[in-house]
Amino acid sequence: MNYFPDEVIEHIFDFISSHKDRNSISLVSKSWHKIERCSRKRVFIGNCYAINPERLIERFPSLRSLTLKGKPHFADFNLVPHEWGGFVHPWIVALAKARVGLQELRLKRMVVSDESLELLSRSFASFKSLVLVSCEGFTTDGLASVAANCRHLRELDLQENEIEDHRGQWLNCFPESSTALTSLNFSCLKGETNLAALERLVARSPNLESLKVNRAVPLDALTRLMSCAPQLVDLGVGSYENEPDQESFMKLMAAIKKCTELRSLSGFSEVAPLCLSAFYPICQNLTSLNLSYAAEIQGNHLIRFIQFCKRLQRLWILDSIGDKGLEVVASTCKELQELRVFPSDLHDEEDNDTAVTEIGLVAISAGCPKLHSILYFCKQMTNAALITVAKNCPNFIRFRLCILEPNKPDHTTSQSLDEGFGAIVQACKGLRRLSVSGLLTDKVFLYIGMYAEQLEMLSIAFAGDTDKGMLYVLNGCKKMRKLEIRDSPFGNAALLADVDKYRTMRSLWMSSCEVTLGGCKRLARNAPWLNVEIINENENNDLMERNEEDEREKVDRLYLYRTVVGARKDAPPCVTIL
Amino acid sequence: MEKGGVEHEITELRLGLPGRDVTEKMMKKRGFTEMIMTSSGSNSDESGVVSGGDVEKINESPAAKSEVVGWPPVCSYRRKNSCKEAWTTKVGLGYVKVSMDGVPYLRKIDLGSSQGYDDLAFALDKLFGVRGIGVALKDGDNCEYVTIYEDKDGDWMLAGDVPWGMFIESCKRLRIMKRSDATGFGLQPRGVDE
Repeated sequence: MNYFPDEVIEHIFDFISSHKDRNSISLVSKSWHKIERCSRKRVFIGNCYAINPERLIERFPSLRSLTLKGKPHFADFNLVPHEWGGFVHPWIVALAKARVGLQELRLKRMVVSDESLELLSRSFASFKSLVLVSCEGFTTDGLASVAANCRHLRELDLQENEIEDHRGQWLNCFPESSTALTSLNFSCLKGETNLAALERLVARSPNLESLKVNRAVPLDALTRLMSCAPQLVDLGVGSYENEPDQESFMKLMAAIKKCTELRSLSGFSEVAPLCLSAFYPICQNLTSLNLSYAAEIQGNHLIRFIQFCKRLQRLWILDSIGDKGLEVVASTCKELQELRVFPSDLHDEEDNDTAVTEIGLVAISAGCPKLHSILYFCKQMTNAALITVAKNCPNFIRFRLCILEPNKPDHTTSQSLDEGFGAIVQACKGLRRLSVSGLLTDKVFLYIGMYAEQLEMLSIAFAGDTDKGMLYVLNGCKKMRKLEIRDSPFGNAALLADVDKYRTMRSLWMSSCEVTLGGCKRLARNAPWLNVEIINENENNDLMERNEEDEREKVDRLYLYRTVVGARKDAPPCVTIL
Repeated sequence: MEKGGVEHEITELRLGLPGRDVTEKMMKKRGFTEMIMTSSGSNSDESGVVSGGDVEKINESPAAKSEVVGWPPVCSYRRKNSCKEAWTTKVGLGYVKVSMDGVPYLRKIDLGSSQGYDDLAFALDKLFGVRGIGVALKDGDNCEYVTIYEDKDGDWMLAGDVPWGMFIESCKRLRIMKRSDATGFGLQPRGVDE
């Protein structure tokens, strides 16, 4: 390779797209490092505070596509204060200043402002794709600037963001000349949309493959949209509580029949059964179905719908489908790869049989040989079921089980679920992500440390007995990147046992555990390359100034992560960086 | 801030197979119910966030389950946008949940939009697509089903006994049971309440 000119080597590198591989290439030699970094187009930053934009730009001057993640995962469950951080603005400022030819920006759990969006829209002439997931801090005004100024915009994908809807005319802001859209998702917007503007936009976007509208788009508008975009592959519909009249129904069905390319269906925040049945003609083509927001769909309608979906690979539903419904899924959806079953009753008020149990899980594992990812909320579980699931599905990559009641044992034997989860990690040699729940002792962590060799992310809640539990995991799981723990009795001994372990991990989250301020301080002293953040909404005064006795005070929330740029400057008062 | 003995026991090394001493373990563990009590304001210094702290008050209170922050781990966007979550705000407007034995889903019904028991009977029939539920409201003994409701005091009462106005004010939710199951249920006898 030394005799090839750089351009040839660069061309060869072009075929390598995975981040891991490109990172490895850059470690081979100085010259490869240089060629790689100068030609790198896509960069993924899993923690926006691990590095700063200036260093990023310095290393990768040809950057075109950037992915940034901000808040830790548990922010999804309101465990992280809103003002914690994760601001995208400094990144956009730096990229704009350096005149980076940015084309794609993907953000997750970051704070985005209208100002940021405006700056973005004006700074990058070739900007093509904006994907925002679980972000907040902006309004439809920011969207208006993106629509108006990004002449080459192809993708605007807004997933589960908190957006202040000014009910303005942001859709109108797409110029008439804008015809390049391939993907538009505004399902998380709460307000009314300018339907005429939407229809015109869709009509002049022949390459539009993915369209996800919000609740406020009524049935007749949906029908018209589908009629002028029969090429759609991915459709997210609105909210249709009321049964359509005969004529509307016929028109809807006719429009749907024309969408022969449709493979993915979502939305349905409410849907009357007749409406749902209008989609029967295309069910057989569907590979992805998300009905997890439709709390009102009756079980039998759901089952009837799914019976037509023989090619389904991904299914997101509510537990109102029941074990019987899952049995139908198991016998119908032989191509199923990913299943998510969400709880429909969050307050556990009902004592009836609407939820799913271990029966449904076992049925799925027996019926769907290609299943590799599961997220399953249920009321009860048994070791026997988990052992059976492990035997049926050794190919799990992601296994997330959430038993709704914490500390709940195996309901037939009253034992802990250590053996069940142990069977899962032992059988599923490729397991990368695991969430455990129910009654669990240190033993389950012994199993995890012993068998889960590929495990990268582990979520623990209300589990374990002693520090040994956490130590088994830290010592055993060589590929661990993200460890998040809440309400478990792990303390300083586990936290401090192997500080260098955190060099190999992206982050560690511990809340309502046994770690103390003293322990965290000691960690911070021994590991200057870590940011050790203490989050405590009660205390506004500086934790560092409190007297010795408080070293024994338990830390409410601890979030630590490796970084090459030291303590961040934008932390709010409730966050102390040790 | 005194911590003391109980906490020490929580971190104590325990040998032995899991499954033994489960109840003992559950009490000594920083248990779920302790979490509820610390988060539901038993210690006024703490915010709503679950934290270590007070282990003195262990009080079994199933109704408080939903107060643990961030549990179950459903992301806040989904919580806000899931219809059933929205139910809890609708209850005050006359919507009550209706469950029917043997049917794997819940419906809701707006009592405020019914004029009386006849109306309600008709609506329930329509809701579940089963004839005869409504008949039970009026006809007492001739029907396969009984319709019962939970009142403000948490008691289950047979629907149809009290005047309509009183009924819609006190009804928190409805349940349609098979008559055969109802006998052992523990319904309040007629006329016991105002």
